[in-house]
Amino acid sequence: MTITVDAIRRCLEGVIPSTIATCAPDGTPNISYVSQVHYVDSSHVALTFQFFNKTHSNVLANPRATVIAIDPLSAARFELDLEYLRTETEGPLFESMKAKLAGIASHSGMAGVFRLLGSDVYRVRAVTPLAGQQLPLPTPRRNLLASLRACSQVFERCTDLGALLEALLAELEAKFEIRHSMVLMLDGAGGRLYTVASRGYRDSGVGSEIAVSCGVIGVCAQQKTPIRIMHTTAEYSYGRAIRESAERAGMGGLETAIPLPGIADSRSQLAAPIISAGRVLGVLYVESPEDLRFSYDDEDALVALAAQLGVALRAMQETEDMHDSPGPPARRGAPSGGAQVVVRHFAADDSIFIGDDYLIKGVAGAILRKLLVDHAREGRTEFTNRELRLDPHIRLPDLTDNLEARLILLHRRLAERSGALMLEKTGRGRFRLCVNRPVQLVEVPRS
Amino acid sequence: MSLAASAGALLDESAAAFLHRPGISITAAASDGRNVARIGRCLGCRVAADRTRVTVFIASVQYQTFFDALDASRRIAVVFSYPSTHQTMQLKGSEAEVGSLAPGDHEIIARHVDDFVDELGRLGYARDVVRAYHWCETAEVRAVTFMPAAAFEQTPGPGAGAPLRRTA
Repeated sequence: MTITVDAIRRCLEGVIPSTIATCAPDGTPNISYVSQVHYVDSSHVALTFQFFNKTHSNVLANPRATVIAIDPLSAARFELDLEYLRTETEGPLFESMKAKLAGIASHSGMAGVFRLLGSDVYRVRAVTPLAGQQLPLPTPRRNLLASLRACSQVFERCTDLGALLEALLAELEAKFEIRHSMVLMLDGAGGRLYTVASRGYRDSGVGSEIAVSCGVIGVCAQQKTPIRIMHTTAEYSYGRAIRESAERAGMGGLETAIPLPGIADSRSQLAAPIISAGRVLGVLYVESPEDLRFSYDDEDALVALAAQLGVALRAMQETEDMHDSPGPPARRGAPSGGAQVVVRHFAADDSIFIGDDYLIKGVAGAILRKLLVDHAREGRTEFTNRELRLDPHIRLPDLTDNLEARLILLHRRLAERSGALMLEKTGRGRFRLCVNRPVQLVEVPRS
Repeated sequence: MSLAASAGALLDESAAAFLHRPGISITAAASDGRNVARIGRCLGCRVAADRTRVTVFIASVQYQTFFDALDASRRIAVVFSYPSTHQTMQLKGSEAEVGSLAPGDHEIIARHVDDFVDELGRLGYARDVVRAYHWCETAEVRAVTFMPAAAFEQTPGPGAGAPLRRTA
């Protein structure tokens, strides 16, 4: 029976360092510890190339190599017979290994020393189990394939995006015991991601933003690849430094008033890209205060769910566009009572303040301004996604921008921050603005 | 590490002490004559009093491909690494010989495994897994002896791979 690499992936988590043996052209053997043997697919692995060492020069001249990998739970050992193919110095595989290595380095006191120069990709010629004592494996608490199947059912029953995201994150907790999760959508033009749903945080953080390329989430979106870190490292954490570096890199206007949700003691992190038709739409992100919390199997499950989410997002958008007939005729909403609320709109960045409290800026801010202007001018409360899409003042970054996600963002921010204004979905591609108190819209022009 | 060697020996006293350091991790490779290297996990080592020869202990039932390779070429490389500091040294030699354990070797092996389990246990590894990983039927352990002809610094960092000393 031939064993494929995916059957022994647990040995490749880097928990117990592997060893690699190579041979110089003159027959001199070389043996070295390797920080990471990374699973690429069922017949390929990639090893970290960190220093210009004998292993690297040997395989360039003689591609055959042998690795011994150890199962961190059972102590089972496997000999991998490898053939070196190439070294990648950028791209998804490289970035994924770089992030993982940063975690390993930080955990083993080698931060700043372990630095990835390249990912050495090898074909796996054979995987051979070695004789020896093995410990019985603990009974797994659940079957992750069954969990994945159960989670997938949310896509069958949810028809609107807000409910779908909420149900998905709830199911991640119920079926995978993943208690801290969020979904971020890509703002295509701005090179940033904004949080549209979250679960397991004191503050939802909906509306918070990060720059693409920053941290686990940003690199995941930029490289269209899952990023999984088993010992979180400062290099990939979302502290002030990462924001400042984003600002320096020209990411001005990044949302900073709303803090990104996150657990203070995050130890394991996993980000899966939400992709549809080759484009990244967003990122599904989970984290845990435990080291080594997310396995290759968790990564597979999250990637599968993110892929389904990508298909669902696209389908919902197409359905919305098909049903974008004009909404109900404009009618004057019921007069609202109570004290007047002053809503200020700043033209410079479309930011909105309700009273003295910051609400939102950017596209979502421009949407709310349009709703309030139409409400004040015509008494309208019923709106359609289509008119927002066509409104030149809203400046959607591009035609494929997920308007529904922007509306969810605005809906959540209003629900969290204001009792005076609410959004209600009234059908496919339609929604209602509920004005519960008299509103005065103050326009603050660009200075 | 200082490797000012005594006459005739590649290893100086501090290097020999490093190879014997409790908790050290030891792994060997042998080339098989067709330029493929095979790995054998070591269960301890013994450095001769004059430091000219190093013996490592390897379980033949688990690492048969290593012994087959060694039979073919007799060329060996052994890496010694101290887990909590990552301090690492590699020795290389030829004309390696495989023999039986000498009196006292069983005790060296038992102590090596205990020390290694303790060292990794301190670093947070599961002790039962580390012990299982070093399990062997002692009757199947062979002593592999070689004369170090070259030593290389392999501690991770820019200096990794630098030769410490070669015999002429």
